[in-house]
Amino acid sequence: MTGVVVLDNGGGLIKAGHGGDLDPTAVLPNCLLRPLSSKKFLHPDPLGSHSTAALDLTSAAVRRPIDRGYLINADLQRDIWAHLFTSHLRVSTPSSCLLLTEPPFTLPSIQRATDELVFEDFNFKSLYVADSASLVHLYEASTSPQGLVSKAQCSLVVDCGFSFTHAAPVFQNFTLNYGVKRIDLGGKALTNYLKELVSYRSINVMDESFLMDDVKEKLCFVSLDVDSDLQLARKPGQDNVFRCSYVLPDGVTFTKGYVKDPEAAQRYLNWTDESHSTSGGTIIDVEKPESAEDRKRIDLTKNEFDLTNERFLVPEMIFRPADLGMNQAGLAECIVRAINSCHPHFHPVLYESIILTGGSTLFPRFAERLERELRPLVPDYYQVKITTQQDPILGVWRGGSLLASSPDFEAMCVTKAEYEELGSARCRRRFLR
Amino acid sequence: MEDESSNPLRRMSSRTRKVAPKMVAALASSDNRTQAVLARLEALENDNAGTEVGDLNDDDEASLDDDDDDGYMHKKQSKSTKRKTRQAKALENARKAPRTFLELLHEANLESLPPHIPSYSRAAVGPPSSTSRRHFCTVCGFTATYTCVKCGMRFCSRRCQNIHNDTRCLKFVA
Repeated sequence: MTGVVVLDNGGGLIKAGHGGDLDPTAVLPNCLLRPLSSKKFLHPDPLGSHSTAALDLTSAAVRRPIDRGYLINADLQRDIWAHLFTSHLRVSTPSSCLLLTEPPFTLPSIQRATDELVFEDFNFKSLYVADSASLVHLYEASTSPQGLVSKAQCSLVVDCGFSFTHAAPVFQNFTLNYGVKRIDLGGKALTNYLKELVSYRSINVMDESFLMDDVKEKLCFVSLDVDSDLQLARKPGQDNVFRCSYVLPDGVTFTKGYVKDPEAAQRYLNWTDESHSTSGGTIIDVEKPESAEDRKRIDLTKNEFDLTNERFLVPEMIFRPADLGMNQAGLAECIVRAINSCHPHFHPVLYESIILTGGSTLFPRFAERLERELRPLVPDYYQVKITTQQDPILGVWRGGSLLASSPDFEAMCVTKAEYEELGSARCRRRFLR
Repeated sequence: MEDESSNPLRRMSSRTRKVAPKMVAALASSDNRTQAVLARLEALENDNAGTEVGDLNDDDEASLDDDDDDGYMHKKQSKSTKRKTRQAKALENARKAPRTFLELLHEANLESLPPHIPSYSRAAVGPPSSTSRRHFCTVCGFTATYTCVKCGMRFCSRRCQNIHNDTRCLKFVA
């Protein structure tokens, strides 16, 4: 019995572990970093590790093997994988199988490079290439055996990741590739957009990718009503429920930035809830007088910047890329187009089994907003049901882990001998892509 | 670095003439505003790669070779062996250097596929059904009612207009 290495090789994070496990062994950024203090590019620490010698990521230079979601720098990826396999997973590659995810419509030249990497550099015994949508479908179907996804054997997987966003219909564990639609916007573009806004409006943070990633994750949210939220964001002082400060690291006591007042950062949630229940019009005093004085005082020893409307205008771009000047439809329309390109018999089921996955769906209220946008676009005799995953970043990996532990997994793989005999292109046909 | 994709206009070397299809469109049109928008969208996909290009393929040497290229065209025969090897080295570096996804995409020539086969370019979601777009003030982020007559960026008030004029107006039009 040989082990299966399950590798969800994302543009932002690598999720890697052993097939059959519940959670991946290592989740780490898929990049090499060069902090200011170093002359060489270093391997990043896995997420969630609390090593004492954590890298100071201020103004770190980043090299990523993946551009726009596709593997373009095989040399760099080899370095990262070699480090991953030896020091995190501790597997011997010649005696293991590999389950690797690949985005839809990977170019043949990239597939060839990937195969070379897997078989010639790492000598894996066999390889299975999966696409993320079918893995998510598999995982969702297995978590609720009585649910619609597993009964109807089809679902629409919306993967909003680091590099791009895909809406992909899946039927009987196969992605219907003629129905896949893509928006060229993902977490990376959003972070860069936030960087651009903050750099122009307050402090130059153009080099601080990791810091701004953190700001985005902690402070950004999806607005349910942009116009009224914009009006709210105009208010001065304490009336402004969106205003929130983020303190930059000073390199001495804090090497990581933090939200100045996490409680205040959550105020917007209560605000809209209350104003909805009281049918609008009345002004609710959300001011908390006890520590208001502390908050107002600006600590001159710390560098901080305020965010107001940026908090919801940044994730807003996924719903309206046209606002950025992009000639692409928003997420709701993307879903409708993906479904419309399938056979009409699928439509009712697909609308009822939309699964959200990927790190960018973690913005608060993402699903709620999507449903609001989607409902008017869908005929009223169809139900719309959006399922969110418990851990959208790991959803794909868990599906891969399930697939790897299924009994007929080994038969689906392409072995090294077959690769050597037939070459990359012929082997790829095995994966029906 | 970031100029890799954001301003191909300034690149004069013969080796790097391959530009992304989007950029080709931008270069063909004389409209500076479209170019600015496209360049900005390209920039959204950038990493801060630091000076990686420098230590990856020995930029100093490569730039020397760029200068040499023009001379090389004129006096082909009089090239010293040293120069040849240097150019050969630069060419090799260029070959080894990772190409961007857009270059690979261009090379794959997806347009030549028959129309019924789904491909990367056909999977793009396509233009939105309604052409209306909201405009946000580039200075403060609120709904913008006015357009800068010089550069086409948006602003919402007199105050923002002044800030815009002082800081980033005419940035792209030069």
